[in-house]
Amino acid sequence: MIEHRFKCPHCGAIATFYGEPGETKVVTCAACYTRGRITIPGEKQDNSYAIEVSHLKKVYDDLIAVNDISFAVKTGEIFAFLGPNGAGKTTTVEMIESIRTPTAGAIKLLGTDTKTGFNQVKERISILPQEFHSFERFTVRETLTYFSKLYKKRANIDEILDAMDLRSHEKKLYRNLSGGLKQRVGVALSLVNDPEIVFLDEPTTGLDPKARREVWQVIANLRSKGKTVFLTTHYMEEAEHLADHIAIIHKGKIIAEGSLQDLINRYGENTTLYIKNCHSAEAPQLLEDKGFEVHSSGNGDITVKIDYKEKVLEVLSALRHDCIEYDGVDIRGSNLEEVFLRLTGARLIEEVDT
Amino acid sequence: MNLKIVGIDFLYSIRSWFRSRGTVFWSLLFPVMLILLFGAIFSGMGNSKYTLYVQDLDNTDMSQGFVTILNKTGILNIKNITTNGTITDYIKENNIKNLIVIPKGYKTDITRSYTDPTTKVNLTYYFDPTEQQTNQVLRSVISSVLEGLNMQISQGRTVVGLTEYSTVTENFGYIDFFIPGMIGFTIMQQSIYGSIERNTKFRKDGILRKLLTTPITRSEWILAKMLFMLFLAFVSTSVAIGVGIFAFGIKVNINLLTITLIIATSFLFSGIGMIIGRFVKEEETADMAAGAISFPMMFLAGTFFAVDAMPSIIQMIARALPLFYVNEGLRNAMIYMNQSEAIINTGIVVVFAAIFFIAGVLLTKWKED
Repeated sequence: MIEHRFKCPHCGAIATFYGEPGETKVVTCAACYTRGRITIPGEKQDNSYAIEVSHLKKVYDDLIAVNDISFAVKTGEIFAFLGPNGAGKTTTVEMIESIRTPTAGAIKLLGTDTKTGFNQVKERISILPQEFHSFERFTVRETLTYFSKLYKKRANIDEILDAMDLRSHEKKLYRNLSGGLKQRVGVALSLVNDPEIVFLDEPTTGLDPKARREVWQVIANLRSKGKTVFLTTHYMEEAEHLADHIAIIHKGKIIAEGSLQDLINRYGENTTLYIKNCHSAEAPQLLEDKGFEVHSSGNGDITVKIDYKEKVLEVLSALRHDCIEYDGVDIRGSNLEEVFLRLTGARLIEEVDT
Repeated sequence: MNLKIVGIDFLYSIRSWFRSRGTVFWSLLFPVMLILLFGAIFSGMGNSKYTLYVQDLDNTDMSQGFVTILNKTGILNIKNITTNGTITDYIKENNIKNLIVIPKGYKTDITRSYTDPTTKVNLTYYFDPTEQQTNQVLRSVISSVLEGLNMQISQGRTVVGLTEYSTVTENFGYIDFFIPGMIGFTIMQQSIYGSIERNTKFRKDGILRKLLTTPITRSEWILAKMLFMLFLAFVSTSVAIGVGIFAFGIKVNINLLTITLIIATSFLFSGIGMIIGRFVKEEETADMAAGAISFPMMFLAGTFFAVDAMPSIIQMIARALPLFYVNEGLRNAMIYMNQSEAIINTGIVVVFAAIFFIAGVLLTKWKED
């Protein structure tokens, strides 16, 4: 992997990314959260997979918690494992981490079969378990030092404290930290052995929006350090914001997988074009005659379903051709929430809340 | 086995423990408070009136006059006893601590001493040497009374003397009984609750899952924690013995059996804690379960009071409890120097420890189902 410096075209912030020559990556600016694609200069090489899961299954008595799932996570990407509570996310990630024993299937971490060689890869991975709380009477620095000393390969604690913005809290006892800081310490703990893969199981659950943003920043920084991140979450926004690659799990099965744009393109609803205060009553009929699905509100506002954003121009050209005027237009694309709704027939956030 | 990792975990455990005021209190200060409290109550500290039993074998106006003088000092609670058996058996049976015997012929001898200066009469004073403060007061009172009496009879020449005997063949008091019990109880509490914390709270907090994915192995971690529990056990034992020596003047023998018992006790109750932690997942419920096991054991196993004084059914129950053998073993090894009994007690505790600790280790899992 090579280091590549990238200047955000939006805010000008410089960020460092790691990747293989020729590799195109979706990146998020750590300063302004603008997303974009960059291509690492040089000849493209094959990507190796950090995590390979094949036909994984977990059965508890009559309950199939994880049902024959397979996926692979490329080295250096943030992989979001998205699904509602009870979908099988934690069971899956804990089988990958060898915390649970699979009923069937195979798992490879960094090319090593975990069934026989998990002890060999322990030094190269790190996890943040769900609802993790560390030793209450250790300070932040002691917590990091304790876990660091369990490994042969150790990252510099001072650098981690600085990177995670924990320097001012290093002498505080863990139990006295806020929820957001505790999660930040949890993520920091995941770096003490300078791992190649970091597993973060619901790292922002229960945090307020500000604390959640702080943790996102930390996770985004992991990608910039070239770490492979396996993130389980039930927050759509989190997956949209952070992930290069998303797998949606529902009732123990992966129902969709790909980049955010792939998923929206494949499973999202059509783009909707809102035409505000159209000055002609003929407009809906005109557009229907052109083959568009149109809905008129009766007060002049019209919504038009279109397959691609490119069709916007076609709609507007048709109106202009007939000299029909309007006050304005708004284009709304699909998002992950709609993808999930379409795939499962349920809203993720509602399922979470109930 | 990576002993460096074991050492790191051990040192961090001590640091963490020391920061918990509650744990330090319950581990060290609470037992000290109990020792001082029970020691004060049952060792005679704080008494304003001292009981002195009197056996008047002479039963004459002169012997009764002596008893009256003792009574008039105002600080003695005189109790007359009559027995036809031997006085030592009577003392033992009735748990008498201080007794003075006025011999038959007391009046005759004193009368003879007026004409024969060589005639003497000796009173016999039986005392409990473990109750030093009481002894000091009683000796002082009796000596003063005798001094006055001798002055009256012969202008100071000793006619009425005092011969002292210990009321017990072994110089042991309640505090000698109590401190080993307190040590056993403290190690039991530390081990059970420490083990439960590691197996329920750490599981709930995800610490065990985190550790499972680090290079530390389960056996290294258990070894580190057992070293820490042993450290705590020896610290609390030292504190209890220190209080016993400095506050109550007990004599303690630290020998191989004592050390073996302390180690075995720590393993025994850690094993019980592990078993509780395996079957009771919630921390609060596990604490209650630990309390339900440890508190009855504390009272039934002879920590505070001798099991022999309890009803026979309770004695049977006590002999089925591991803490009973811990307490008895510590008393025999540390205080009574009854090595043969101590070996038997230690053997029983070691067997209990092996069974419960191995079962605990086998039942304790870091992996989730």
